[in-house]
This record gives sequence, structure tokens and C-alpha cells, in this order.
Amino acid sequence: MTTTAVKSRELNLVGAVNEALRQEMEKDERVIVLGEDVGKNGGVFRATEGLFERFGQERVVDTPLAELGIIGSAMGLAIAGFRPVCEIQFDGFTPSIFDSMVSHLGRMRNRTRGRYSLPLVIRSPHGGLIHAPEHHSESPEAYFCHTPGIKVVCPSTPEDAKGLLIAAIRDPDPVVFFEPKALYRAARGPVSDQSYTIEIGKARVRREGTDLTMISWGAMVGTCLKAAERLAQNGTSVEVLDLRTLTPLDLESVLKSVSKTGRALIAHEAPNSGSWAAEISALIAERALTHLKAPVKRVGGWDIRMPLFRLERYYIPDIDRLLMASEEVLSF
Amino acid sequence: MPLETIVHHKTQRLEILNPEGFADPALEPRVPKDIFLEIYRKMVELRAFDERAIKLQRQGRLGTYPSVFGQEASQFIPAFCLKPSDWMIPTYRGSGAYYARGMKFRHSLLIWAGDDRGTVFPEGNRDMTFSITVGGHLTLAAGLAWAAKLEKKNAVVLAYLGDGASSKGDLHEALTFAGMMSLPVIFLIENNQWAISVSRQRQCAAETLAQKAHGYGVFGLQVDGNDALAIFSAMEEAIRRGREGRGASILELETYRMAHHTTADDSSRYRPKNDLDYWAKRDPLLRLKRYLESLKLLDEAQNQEFLKNAEALVDEEIKAYEAFAEPNPLDMFANNYAEAPRALIEQRAELKALLERKMRLGEIVEVPPLEGRFP
Repeated sequence: MTTTAVKSRELNLVGAVNEALRQEMEKDERVIVLGEDVGKNGGVFRATEGLFERFGQERVVDTPLAELGIIGSAMGLAIAGFRPVCEIQFDGFTPSIFDSMVSHLGRMRNRTRGRYSLPLVIRSPHGGLIHAPEHHSESPEAYFCHTPGIKVVCPSTPEDAKGLLIAAIRDPDPVVFFEPKALYRAARGPVSDQSYTIEIGKARVRREGTDLTMISWGAMVGTCLKAAERLAQNGTSVEVLDLRTLTPLDLESVLKSVSKTGRALIAHEAPNSGSWAAEISALIAERALTHLKAPVKRVGGWDIRMPLFRLERYYIPDIDRLLMASEEVLSF
Repeated sequence: MPLETIVHHKTQRLEILNPEGFADPALEPRVPKDIFLEIYRKMVELRAFDERAIKLQRQGRLGTYPSVFGQEASQFIPAFCLKPSDWMIPTYRGSGAYYARGMKFRHSLLIWAGDDRGTVFPEGNRDMTFSITVGGHLTLAAGLAWAAKLEKKNAVVLAYLGDGASSKGDLHEALTFAGMMSLPVIFLIENNQWAISVSRQRQCAAETLAQKAHGYGVFGLQVDGNDALAIFSAMEEAIRRGREGRGASILELETYRMAHHTTADDSSRYRPKNDLDYWAKRDPLLRLKRYLESLKLLDEAQNQEFLKNAEALVDEEIKAYEAFAEPNPLDMFANNYAEAPRALIEQRAELKALLERKMRLGEIVEVPPLEGRFP
């Protein structure tokens, strides 16, 4: 018997997604990748590059341009025993699937009294800052988090992207998997060449601190880390918590960190009102109020549509906005 | 009892100009021919614009841009056939449709530079903004046509879509309404054979997209989308039907996307190169030029003059586009509600404080003047 040495090499985030898909398709022939341009073209971000050549057109399927058709047919495939991994080409195209998502996807297990489950994954790029046209820079996670019966994941490192995507494909319930498109090529890091999973529902402390907790997900985690670095220069110690999974939320890690620092700032890209940050803020207020030294602060996009890209950097919170908000929280 | 055929359907294709520019005399539109000289001149300008827009993107002077190369006829002529009082909804690949309605190229460029100030429609027109998500405008088009029917002013609605968007459920619902209510709407499918990397054949098993009309009780016709005369004739027919209360139409204009999907795409990954050679021989400008030459309405000197003037026009438009200063970030708060809610007043003040902080820190030098209305 020979053992394979585990190798870790640098990959970018899109490369990690690609490797996760390839390894799961090799391991489990029930896995089918479907979506617009995922086949010959390898996906518009090249997340599925090489899969069509490796696994053929029956398992890597270029679908007609119909998002509702993609998700609906994936539900049928999943009920019948396959493991579909759907790609919705851009976050701004996900509203087309809402009927299926709200009326069927999230409630199939419950409404069939456990008879049918939907072990499928919906992958979609997430967020802004790549100078893309309208409907290409959205952060629609709150709609999905609000819908019972599905899980929502949004990694910020290549290592997490690979392990969480493999876990999502193996998960017995539907998982919406958001990939921060600004990080597809910008985020690089060590990734094991072996197949591995990272547990869905677990946050990760990306930086330890004692004065203020910044809670975030996706590309905004990087902005938090940079803001934390700046605040450290003035002697403020910031803890940065990368949620990685939005639902089910790792409330234990949130409460643990906030109870330690007494201050919480939640940063994200979506319109702030009714956002997932609002839910986290409410939970902190309900469960950790006595530990708080300052009101919980949410920093998100404005309550208007994402403007065309010339102004996107004034819409999505940047380091200055995080610093301004931190000053406010620290003034208590 | 033997099976009985209860409905006969046929789908027809209209082609008037052959690739050599010779028109079928039985089908030639009965209009003064100089209208086609005007159309040709505008299509030359559109192509000049399109070529320069791609160059601007390559030079980093423009964002992602979807080319209309090869689709000048299917873009320009349908909207050209409308009156200003008719409604027009383009797709994102819509520079030519907008140009036919009088939108300046500078504004098309602004949109693709990620600047909301590009959304400027000429006064008096009933034009709609396009959407990058496809198909969502089709039921809206049915609603505009419903209103037009109630107004009784004989207006029609022209809604463009692509072969890709014809797969969306939206088209089914739009046609259901349009057919059932006999609405004056034209669903103009620019079938350019490719939805990014997915071919027309992989989009739908039906032989044509025009035949979808039969399922909804509306008029359907396939048209050579690189044939200016055929498009003109088909539009005249569909508009007449709409104005006379005879209901909706599907026109499938068969053309070809000669460029990549957008400047962010590389079509060599997924489509055969000899397709381009086949379609280059059917180029819509070349065919119309040959036709006009055969009528002695155009000669080479005049053609050169058109090309030169087109370049000058595009130069001027690019200059005007690049003269736009950066937008004021506070402008994004304009035009969100008729009355500004408290949250937006607060958030706008927060952005203002952020801009002032950035100026103090020297991260930005000055804030451009406000242009939008708030609230």
C-alpha cells in the first residue's frame, strides 16, 4: 500500500472552486454540473474550466438561458438521486429563481414529511468592485438567509472555498454557495491537493483582538482585516470574525467574541436595512446585551440599488467607512 | 377513427435581398428608395461607433462593451420604423436601437463606462431603459401595449430580445397576455445564433423561434436579419397589424454575432471560425450597399464620404463622452423615491461626511457638482 503525500500549493479562489468540483465529480458520479456557459466555455469566470473535457456533456451541461429552468430541473434531479451543482452566472440573475427557491426548494423536505430531500448546490458569484455592468455586482444573501430550509455559505479564502464547497455538495440539504467575485483571482492562499471538507455552520477568527469585534463575510472580510491593521497602529485591538456560513449561523462564535470585546461592528456589501447584519445585530442584542459597552453597529451598502460601477466604491463600505464606524463604536 | 388534423400551421421566412444585393422585385418594399440610403448611412455610423467602442475598451477608456457588429440591420431598422409615440425597449446589446431613436453615442458610451448619466432618452420619444438580466421586460412590454390599446392612439410597442432570452419563462407569459388580449406589441427576436457560448440549436429544439407564435395565437415570421429590405417590410407588416388592432407579432431576425459576447468574452473557446466566413459574405452593410449601387443611389465616392463623416461624428461623440467629469457620489441618492425617506436622508448625510473625511485625508481632491434631484 502506498500513501500519497499531502501537498499544499497556492491557489486562487476560483482555482479552489474548480478543484473542489473536479474532485467531487471524480469521487461521486451522481454529481452533475449545470448552468449557463459552464461547459465548453468553462464558465464566465472559468470556475468550471476543464470539467466538460474531463467528464463529458452528460455531467457538465450547458443549459438554455433560463435560471428558473436550471434550479427547477436540478430539484427534479436531486429528488431522483443525483447531486446537481447549479451555477447561476451572476448574483443579479438569482431573482429569477425565487419562485422555486421560496415555494419549493426550502420546504420540500418538510412538506413531504421527510420523504424527499434536495441535496443540491446553487453556486453564484457575489458582490461588487470588479467594474461590471448592472445586475453583476449584487449581494442578495439576505433573501436566501430569510428563506427557511436552505443553507447559505460565503467563503473568503481559497482554502475555505474548497472545503466548504465539497461539504456543500455532500450536504443532504440545499446549499446556496456565494463566491466573492472580487476575490476569484485576488485571494490566493495555500490549499491542500487532497479532498477535504470544512464544516458548514462554523465561523473562523481571522484576527484576534480585545477591543472590538468586526463580523463579516465574503470580500468584506479583507476590508475588515485592513481596517483592523490601521486601528492597531493607534493601539486598538480588533478581532475579525469571518462567518463563512451565514445560515446556519455560528452564533456561539459571535457571542463568544462579542462578550470578550464588548463591541460589535458588522460589515457587508448589501443594502443595510433588512440585511443579514440586521439579524446578527438583533441576536447580539438579545443574547449578549449585558456584555456590550456600545451599541452594535452595522456598516453596509446604502438602501438604494447598486449604482453603475463608477460609483460602486462609494456604495460598498471601504476602509474609511469602517474606520469612521469604529471610531463611533469606540467612543462609548 | 383515423387521426384528424385539426390545425395547420406554417412558418414563413422573408428574404428580399440576396447576398449579391439583388432584390426580388415582387417583394421589394414600395417606398421611396432613398429611405434605404438614409438607413445605410446610419448603419455605417453605427459600425464606426461600434469599432471605436471596442478600441476604447481595449485602451482602458471604457468598461465591458457588447458589440453590435454584424447586427447593424437587425438593431437599427426595427426601431427606425417606429414613430416617436411608439414604445421601444432594447436589450443590453442595443446601441443600434437607441441610435435609431436618436440617442447620442456619447450616452451609450457613458452607460458602458458605468455612469448612470448615460441613461438619457431624446425628448418626445417613448423609450425604455434596457436591462442586463434578460427577458424581464417582455411582460412589461405587454403592459405598455395594453395601455396603448386603452389609449386608442394606434401606438405600438417594440420589444427586442435575443435567442437566449427566448428560453426564459417571461416570454411565455408575455405572449400569453399579448395573444389573449390582442395587444399591439412586436417581440423582435434578434437571433444572433449565440447566447454567450450556447448555440441557437442548444437553446430550443424547435426548428425556428418564429414558430413559437403558433402556440399563442399571434403572428410569427422568420426574417433574414442581415437583409435591410426584409426587416423593413416585416416591421411594416407587424406595425400595421398592431395599429389596426390585429394583435401581437413575433419577428425572428436571423443574424450573427460577429464579435465576442462582450469585450470580456473569448468566443474562440467555443465556436467554429468558419462560421464567421459564412456570415461575413452576408454582411448587412455590404448587401445594402450593393443594392443601393444597383439603383445608382450610391457610388464609391459617396460611400467614402459616408465613412469619413461617420469617423468624424464618432470622434466628436468620444470627445463629448470623455469631457464628462466624474459623477458626484451623492447623486446616487437622487431619483430613488418621489419623496426621500428618512433612511436615505440620513445615509446621504453619512456619505457626505465620508467624502469630507476623504478630502481632509487627501484621498480625493474635490467633489464634482451635484446633478441629480434629491429627494
